[in-house]
Amino acid sequence: MKATWGEKVFYSVNYLLLALAALSCLLPIVHVAAVSLSDSHSVMSASVSLWPVGWTLESYRTLIEGTGIVRAFKNNTVLTVVGVVLSMAATVMAAYPLSRPYFYWRRKLTLAVVFTMLFGGGLIPTYLVIKSLGLINSYGAIWLPGLVSAFNMLVLKTHFEGLPSEMEEAARMDGCGEWRLLAQVVLPLSLPVLAALTLFYAVGYWNAFMNVLIYINSPEKHNMTVLVQQMVQSQSLLQEINGIQQDDIKQMTPEGIKTAGILVMIVPMLIVYPFLQKYFVKGVMIGAVKG
Amino acid sequence: MNLPLLILFAPIAAFFIIFKYAPMAGLVIAFKNYTFYDGIWGSEWVGLHNFEQLFSNPQTLSIIRNTVLLSCLNIVFGFPFPILLAILLNEVRRQWFKRLVQTLVYLPHFLSWVIVGGMVVTIFSQETGIVNHLVKAWLGEPYPFLYKDGSWIAIFVGSGIWKGAGWGAIVYLAALTTIDPHLYEAASLDGASKWRQIWHVTLPGISSTIVVMFILTLGHVMEVGFDHVFMLQNSVVSGISEVISTYIYRVGLQGAQFSLTTAMGLFESLIGLVLVLTANRIARRLGQSLW
Repeated sequence: MKATWGEKVFYSVNYLLLALAALSCLLPIVHVAAVSLSDSHSVMSASVSLWPVGWTLESYRTLIEGTGIVRAFKNNTVLTVVGVVLSMAATVMAAYPLSRPYFYWRRKLTLAVVFTMLFGGGLIPTYLVIKSLGLINSYGAIWLPGLVSAFNMLVLKTHFEGLPSEMEEAARMDGCGEWRLLAQVVLPLSLPVLAALTLFYAVGYWNAFMNVLIYINSPEKHNMTVLVQQMVQSQSLLQEINGIQQDDIKQMTPEGIKTAGILVMIVPMLIVYPFLQKYFVKGVMIGAVKG
Repeated sequence: MNLPLLILFAPIAAFFIIFKYAPMAGLVIAFKNYTFYDGIWGSEWVGLHNFEQLFSNPQTLSIIRNTVLLSCLNIVFGFPFPILLAILLNEVRRQWFKRLVQTLVYLPHFLSWVIVGGMVVTIFSQETGIVNHLVKAWLGEPYPFLYKDGSWIAIFVGSGIWKGAGWGAIVYLAALTTIDPHLYEAASLDGASKWRQIWHVTLPGISSTIVVMFILTLGHVMEVGFDHVFMLQNSVVSGISEVISTYIYRVGLQGAQFSLTTAMGLFESLIGLVLVLTANRIARRLGQSLW
């Protein structure tokens, strides 16, 4: 069928709007990157738009030498890797029993988990519990309270329930016990969902903010989010950065260092993001169909 | 047969009891005058005194008002965008373009509020921001976007849309795939324009999803994310930008007003619980129960 005039207008407008939406998501990141790579004079006069003016890596040099971003980057990596391993193990341990129709306490325990999504103790009581466990200023205060996301657990449980029961029965006939069933039948069949949940947890730990702000006191244990937040909200960033010469200060702006910090946080995510995209869409679809 | 499942679930049960249910028990300090020395159970009971103080103080009342106001604005302006985006994406025939746009609009969801807040501050900064550079070129005067109530709210709501719209569209895209393509053919044979096809086929096709998502969203009226507000707020606009979560952090945690802010948190959680339960009841009546 030939496209009518009206359809042509429609498609043009549609493509235009979507291109605008896409660009609006991309351009701020490009702009911030350009600022981080520009010299201070251009940044001060706000003449940087989407391409660096007066290329320089000065901001990055200051960031790396003066702010402890390297340590924060390492902390982020430790927090994320250990956190994801713990959370994924715990989520499987939670979802698998609750997905078995023959598990006696299935309904009651599921309800108990769902209730925590609806109601919680809130910040202060949770803080007091974590404090009384002696977890203040240790990464346990980040990993343990966030061990299982009830939502992620429900996504995985729903997926487990949807697996064909014939395979399970066949495995049982061959003398397969509960452990082997989980390890050799159920988990291998769930790799895309597991990948999606891994990504969700990883993003959560990588971006962890409020918990680190509240529970981690010593600056050398801070992660990048808290470090960047302090840089963004600091009024006198340059005075705080230790070990830079007075001459150098003239050549840089707080904006340059802030944007460099932002970039250092985003780039690792941008690198893994395209590879994981197909998984997370799948993951969220399962969650969307039935929570 | 249940023993392996129980062994698997036991650590998870411990997690939920310690980190989810124990803080709920800790909510009793909302009815006590909590002191470090006496602890949660040793502190003296004061009944509803904390609540009376909460609801007789104009400052705390304005914080509750801010919370509800900002959240409602988020919903009113933020809710339609994912739907619009999904409908537009659904009309794209070129797969590479669709994939490209999707990749870009999902991206902001994975950036933490610290990053997004940092970018907002960079872009809208009064001296060095690109937006004020343009404003100055046109109007001669920079505008303090982040220091005026009205523009602060606009930036707050806008940044929420920017971060969430793409991700929110996934649910509607999933719903759109269930619409029978024959309906479009039939409509087009009957001479329906693209606009009429969207109005009479697409929208009715996802209307139940829209209703469910809207009800769900209403259930979260009391929640304005801590990170979002915390990153954007400043002392100049604190009259409009202080919300329950940031107040609890600032006054409760940093100012050690544990009992008063726990009372506030309890009030927030209870209203939230009632809203979610009501929302689900309505959804169930519409045949779309969530659990």
